[in-house]
This record gives sequence, C-alpha cells and structure tokens, in this order.
Amino acid sequence: MLTVTDLQVAYGEIQVVWDVSFSVPEGSIVAIIGPNGAGKSTTLKSIMGLLPLKAGEISFRSETIVGAPSYEIVRAGLVLVPEARATFSTLTVLENLELGAFSERARPHRHETIGQVFEIFPILKDRQSQSAGTLSGGERQMLAIGKALMAKPELLILDEPSLGLAPLVVERIFEVIEEINRQGVSILLVEQNARLSLETAHYGYVIELGRIVNEGKTEDLLQDSRVQDAYLSF
Amino acid sequence: MSSVLQSILSGILVGAIYGLAALGLSLAFGVLKILNVAHGELIMVGGYATFFMFTLLGVDPFLSMAAVFAILVVLGLGLHTFLFRHIVTLDEENRIKNSLLIGFGLTLILHTLAVRLFSADDRSIFTDYSTLAWTVGPVRFPAVKVAGLLIAIVAVLLLEFFLTRTYWGKALRATSEDWVMASLAGIDIRRVYFVAFALSAGLAGLTGVLISVGFSINPSIGLQWTLKALIVVVLAGLGSIPGTLLGGLLLGVAEALSSLQFGGEYREIVGLVLFLIFLSFRPQGLFGGRHA
Amino acid sequence: MLSRRWSWGLSIAVLVGALVLPLVSDRQPLLTLAIFVFLIATLASSWNIIGGLAGQISLGHAAFFGIGSLVTRLLWLEGVPLMLAFLAGGLASAVAAVILGYPGLRLRGIYFAIGTLALGEAIRITVGNLYPRVSALPAEALRSYDLVGRYYLILGVLLLSIAVTYYLMHSKLGLGMQTTREDEDAARSIGVDIFMHKLIAFVISAAIAGLAGGSFAFFHVSYYPSFTFSAEWTFDALIVVFIGGIGTLVGPLIGALFFVLVRDVLSTSLVDVHLLIFGGLFIVVVLLFPGGLMEGWEQLQSWRGALRLRRQKAGDEAA
Repeated sequence: MLTVTDLQVAYGEIQVVWDVSFSVPEGSIVAIIGPNGAGKSTTLKSIMGLLPLKAGEISFRSETIVGAPSYEIVRAGLVLVPEARATFSTLTVLENLELGAFSERARPHRHETIGQVFEIFPILKDRQSQSAGTLSGGERQMLAIGKALMAKPELLILDEPSLGLAPLVVERIFEVIEEINRQGVSILLVEQNARLSLETAHYGYVIELGRIVNEGKTEDLLQDSRVQDAYLSF
Repeated sequence: MSSVLQSILSGILVGAIYGLAALGLSLAFGVLKILNVAHGELIMVGGYATFFMFTLLGVDPFLSMAAVFAILVVLGLGLHTFLFRHIVTLDEENRIKNSLLIGFGLTLILHTLAVRLFSADDRSIFTDYSTLAWTVGPVRFPAVKVAGLLIAIVAVLLLEFFLTRTYWGKALRATSEDWVMASLAGIDIRRVYFVAFALSAGLAGLTGVLISVGFSINPSIGLQWTLKALIVVVLAGLGSIPGTLLGGLLLGVAEALSSLQFGGEYREIVGLVLFLIFLSFRPQGLFGGRHA
Repeated sequence: MLSRRWSWGLSIAVLVGALVLPLVSDRQPLLTLAIFVFLIATLASSWNIIGGLAGQISLGHAAFFGIGSLVTRLLWLEGVPLMLAFLAGGLASAVAAVILGYPGLRLRGIYFAIGTLALGEAIRITVGNLYPRVSALPAEALRSYDLVGRYYLILGVLLLSIAVTYYLMHSKLGLGMQTTREDEDAARSIGVDIFMHKLIAFVISAAIAGLAGGSFAFFHVSYYPSFTFSAEWTFDALIVVFIGGIGTLVGPLIGALFFVLVRDVLSTSLVDVHLLIFGGLFIVVVLLFPGGLMEGWEQLQSWRGALRLRRQKAGDEAA
C-alpha cells in the first residue's frame, strides 16, 4: 500500500536519512522502532510532503506522492498523527474533529464519522465544546487520533503515540490502534516503545542513525538478540 | 465636563476605525505570519475608490462599500499572487522580515502612484447628510461617524461569525495556530493564505470607505494608518476579534483625552508612547499572547 | 569578480576622482549631485552597520539623521564653531541611540523593526510640533556660502563611514556582530555578548547617520526641521542598501550612485517617478536577489556563461 524506496533526506548539507526502504502492505500493522534522533520523524515528514527529498521514491497505492502537497496526500487517504499529541489548542474539540475532515473525500461523511469517533473515545463527546488546550495529555492524544480518523484514512501513520503518557492510557491507545486496524485501516506505527509496538504489529523495521539496520516479522524481531539487547532489555 | 464627554465620543468614533484597520492587519499577520506594512496604503486605495465613485459616478459612499470591498479583495488576490505567495514558504522569521520589506516597496509604489494620479491634495466626501448630527444633552453625535461605528461593529460580528461558524473560517484559525498541523489535517493552506490575504485587503477597503466619508484622505495617510493598526494589534494581541475592536476604541479615547489635556500637537504621540511601553514590557513578542 | 589588485586600483582611482572633482569643475549642479551621492551613500552605509552587519532591521534610522542635523543646525546658527556643532550632532545621535537602544534592542527581529518605525514617527511628529517653522540660513551665511567646503566635509564623513565599515568587517568586534546576525543562540553559546554587540553597532550606525545629518544641516539652505526626520530618509537608505547588496562594503556606495543618478535623470521630467521604479526594484531584489543587484547581475552572467558553454558543447557534438 505504501512503499518507500531508497529514501535520502537532508537538512541543508547534513543528511539524516540514508537509503531507507520499507513498505506497509494493505491491512497490516507495520512498526518502525529506533532510538530518539534516528531519523524516524524526518522520514515521516518527507512522506507527508513537509520536507523535500534528496532522492528516493515514495508511492501510495502504486502512485508516486513525491512532490505532492500535504493536503493532497491526506486526500489520497494517507494520514499522519503527529507526535506530541498535536491538536489545535485554541479550537474546541468538536472544531478539531471537524477540521480533520477538511479534505473533500471525508467532508460529506463528517457527521457519521464524528459519531464513530465518539464511540471509540466517549470522553471526547463529553468534552466536545471545550477548547483542546484544556484537555489532559491522554485526552489530547485521543483527540489527535480522532482528528486523523475524521479524514477517513486508508493508511494511518502514528508518530510516537505513547510518548509521555501514563501506562494505562498507552494500553488503551494501543487497543484502539488494533481496533482501527480490524476495521480495515492499515497502520504504520513509529515508536520508541519497542516492546509494545512489536507486540502490536505484524512486521517491524529497526532504524538507527538514519538507516534501516534490521527488519522482519515481529515475532522474529522479538526473539532477535540484538533487538532484545538494544530495545527490550529493561 | 461636556468637553470630556464629547472627547470620549469622538475618541470612540475614530477608534472604531482604528479597530477595523487593525483587524485587517492582524488577520494577515495571524494567518500568513506576514506583516504587511502597506496595509495603510491599501486603506488609502479604498478611500480613493470611494471618493471617485462618489464624485465621478455619484454613488453614495455607504452604497459603494460592497464594491470597494470587492475591488480591494481583487487587489489583494493580485498582490498575494505576485508578491506574498512567494514568501509564505519561508521559515517564520524570514517570512516576517521579507514581508516587511516587500510591504515597504509596495508602500512606495502605491504612495507614488496615488500622488501622480490623484495629486497630493486632501480629499473628503461631502454628501447631503455630511453635516447631519444629533444632540443629546451636551454631546453632539455626527451621523456619518456614528454610522461608521455601527458598520465597524457589524463587520466585526460578521468576521467573528465567519471565523467561528464556517469551515473556511475554522481552517483559517487552525492555520493561524499551526500551519504544519493544518496541512497535515488535509487543509490546503495555500488557499487559506489566499482567502486570508484577500479578506485582509477587503477589510482595508472597508476601513478606507469609513475614513473617506468621516474624515479625509490623501496619498500620505498610509504610514499613519499602518502605525495605528500596529499599535492596536500590539495592545489587543492577536487572539480575539472583538478584543481588537475594543483596543481600537481604547486607543481612540486615550488619544482624544490626552489631546484635550495637553493640546492637539501631542495627539499622535500618545499611542506611540503606549505602544513603546507595551513593547518594552513584552519584548518576547506581543503577538504571542494567543496561546497564553 | 574583479581581482584584488584591480579592485584596489579602481577604489584608489575613484577616491582620487572624488578628491579632485571640485578642482577640475566648479559646475554647481555637478557638485550638488556628487554631494547627494555622498550623503545617501553615507546614510546607507551607516544603516548597513546595524542592518547589514548586525542584522537588525531598524526602520527609525531617519531619527538619527534628524537629531544630528537638528543639533548641528541649532548650535551652528547660535554661533558655535561649525566643527564643534558638527561633532555635537554626531554625539547627540550616539547618545540617543544608547537611550533608545537599551530597551529597544531587547526586542527581537520584527518587534525591533516596528518599534523603531513607531519611535521614528513619534520623534518626527514631536520635532514638527516643537519646531514648526522653516530653518533658513541667515543672509550673512548665505553670502559666504561655499559649496566646495561642504563637498569635502560630506566626502570626509563618507570616507569615515567606509573606514568604519571596513574595520568592522575585519575585526573581532565586527565578527561578533555578524555572528549575532547569523544565529543569536549560537553566538551566545560561544560567549558573544549579543546585546552589547547590537548596541555598539546601533550606536556607531547612529553616530555616522548623525554626522551625515550634520553635514546636511551645513549644506542645505532652508528646510523644515522635521524634514530630516522623515521616514523617507530611512527608506532611501534601505533601498540603496538592498539594491546595492546588504552587508557588503561597496554595495551601499554603488547603490547610492545608482539611486541618486536615476533620481536625478527622472526628476527633471516626472516628479517622484524614481520612487515607483525603486519600489519595484526593491521588491524584485527582495524576492529574487537577496544579495543585491550586483550579485544578481553576477548570477545572470554565470547563467548566461553556463548556457553559452552548453550551446557550444551541443554545437561541438553536432559537428
């Protein structure tokens, strides 16, 4: 569904992503794990059209999306939940959700989709007229995911959804991710929390210093001694 | 006492226009993160459009309001296409700096054109009702300026409605808060920028109408109105639309009262001094108040 | 680009030309034109110190030009010796820069720009209210009016501003300013006192603008005192610096020559049309050639060169 081939990304002179290739098959959950600063967020930004590529190819449903503006990528069904629980803090919860459905494919269905989002996250329904800035961290992460769902994604990318959240909330978020996947949405999960992501995903990649250093089925990666030493031993 | 009341009223009446001028400026600044120092020149263009529609075509200035708004929207679309569109892709600091410089070049062009085409003379519009006024107790209410106040209030309400109740309005607010996140939400921010700049120019046109009918215009009023708008934006912050109108009213009243107290020569100084005091207390940036 | 030896030779030739011009020609219009080139070049290169080297876009530069001219004019007409009055003008501008810069330079970027714009207007309006009448030279001063002396004074101020800029571009102090301009946080992390560097740049810039104002007060026969505070002076300086090349030594000089000559040619036919052209040119420079027209020209040359090379290559291959 999403195929990234030999991606190279640089900030000015400094290259931070080298030869990164991976793919997300339709209907699956794929995890990319790696330490802070490994180039994960940079890779996501270039997929979403926020950073120019130096070289490489990114295709979604067999069509290239290199050079397309972000809103067109979203309209095609590829939606990112940015890290740090990104919501519009000056807008209300309801307005945040409505704006999630801005693209033309999602807008006509927005009332229906809002109902679905409220079913998944009932707390958002209770808080719908509150401004997003007043929500707790966990609620904001739910809103961020809800906002992305409003765009009717076919592939949902989540950037560090567990970062800075309480364990119970993290568990809930990951349950929701699996639930979304069961409804037919493919998932790309980018995480520092390696154990949880590998347990959730079907296939995994390990990225270090801007390069993919390891990949495989998640049950194999969980048994891999290098992965265990670096990411699972604490 | 009656002169104090009269001063407060005239301060409110001129302050409404300050508020309207500031609304246009802050819309462009808030959404596009550009500081258009030629905003005052756009106001001036709006004033001349009203003036010539009145003198050449005989259109009543209050009727020509819609046309002037439309003319300035079109002008705004043109300016955005040819100039500002090219800098909204820069990072925020360079965006503001370059917009300031481009606005300044635009200031020179519009000012010089106005002098050549319309001469440097002061112009104002005299209609049958220009001298109409109501007297309530000791205070005189000039009809034209009171109408200006009402129009400013209606404009504020409409803008507030647009920004909080419509899809595009919400998209404008979202882009203003964080354009990266807005584009990730599927918002075509380039179109948002177009809408916001055109609307900002349209508001400048509306401001020009009220100035030409209640006060007077000449090719050099631009800088003065840009500064007034800047002062109000600084006083009121970027967050609230009614707050901006209120900031305008406050500045108008402060100016009127101080010129009553110290004499008219110092009228222009008051706002600038207020502005500088505010600036020095909030050096981290006045427009950041929104998230506070 | 010219080689080092050529550019030195050219500089010396221009300098000698400027020094001997009054000796070979006493045509008043020519000398007056040269005086305006020097004046605008001085104003531009003084703005270049705060705007180009230290990277702070000051839009209140006219205030310092005005303060210098006001103080010089008042003292001089009171009978204070010219040189003393002249230095007092520069000093007054420097002092004003300390007073205004102390709070003002804590503002970053855009806030500094709009703060100085507002301040400049506030000062202009106040001066206009305090000195509403035209300042004209008394009859006796007019009778002994000597254009050549004024020519050399203004040339002297220009040379001073060039020397100061040259020094700043090659000294630790100037390096600190340029580091501040590039990245304040990085500058701070390597121990540069960014506030002090900005303040020093602001004061030097203001002092030279004040001297330029003083020489204007000495040169001009009659004007409204608030005229020298008009934002137009700031805008002239900005245009010249941006068109010539911001942050360079010769940019402001070439820009000023170009600006004054074009203004002179156009003003005979159409009043103020030069502002239309320069406003447009200014926008083009900001949008397309952030390094100034000189750099833009070089860029065009290299593109043309590359194009010619490619054509030649294509021709060779075809043959």
